[in-house]
Amino acid sequence: MVHIERAPWREMVNHAQAVYPNECCGAMIGTIDGDKKVVTVAMMLDNVSQGSQAARYELRPEDLLKADREARTRGLDLIGIYHSHPDCGAYFSETDLKNSCPWYSFVVLSVQNGSFDHANSWLPNAEQTHAEKEELTWPES
Amino acid sequence: MARILIPTPLRQFAEKNDTVELPGATVGEVLGALTAKYPDLKKNLYNDEGKLRSFVNVYLNDEDIRYTGKDATAVVDSDVLSIVPSIAGGKNVR
Repeated sequence: MVHIERAPWREMVNHAQAVYPNECCGAMIGTIDGDKKVVTVAMMLDNVSQGSQAARYELRPEDLLKADREARTRGLDLIGIYHSHPDCGAYFSETDLKNSCPWYSFVVLSVQNGSFDHANSWLPNAEQTHAEKEELTWPES
Repeated sequence: MARILIPTPLRQFAEKNDTVELPGATVGEVLGALTAKYPDLKKNLYNDEGKLRSFVNVYLNDEDIRYTGKDATAVVDSDVLSIVPSIAGGKNVR
């Protein structure tokens, strides 16, 4: 399960609402104890998709490398990636699945009419054919 | 010996090490030594055809090896190899 602490959660929601109607993306850093992952730091990253950012996001691998180094410097772990879905649900789309990686948790934030609506966390498989929903909590959830 | 930084979710396949030091004159040799030492890492990094999975990028220090000679990229002591996934996505478009 993934729990997101108050400060990173606010940053993620603010980020998703600020870039609406486009998609935002970022890294989640924190601690992992068995199956329990606690996000203590959110790192906003650039959406570098060349297509319509209202329906696409793409991370620079170099930015993810920096996020991993930042986590190591702080004695923390890179837990996963977050991104937003403007004006639709927090499902894991076909595009999300085909461009995912099975090593991390993927938190999707649904933003409806510019305001946060709901969120889910997903764990894709290595073959990029299926994603399992995992329990996700945050302070107001 | 080059240092390889192991991503958190893969450490369970590398005796929980976050960093591993292994010999090799090229990136291919170092990665070969890595998967020989930790065979369970191989299926996470390589597909059934023995190629790096589509979402796996390897960086030598700050350089993506796709642009420096791929597996043949020379490695010297003190070099750091990082395993970094490609990630993208987006909502369904109707």
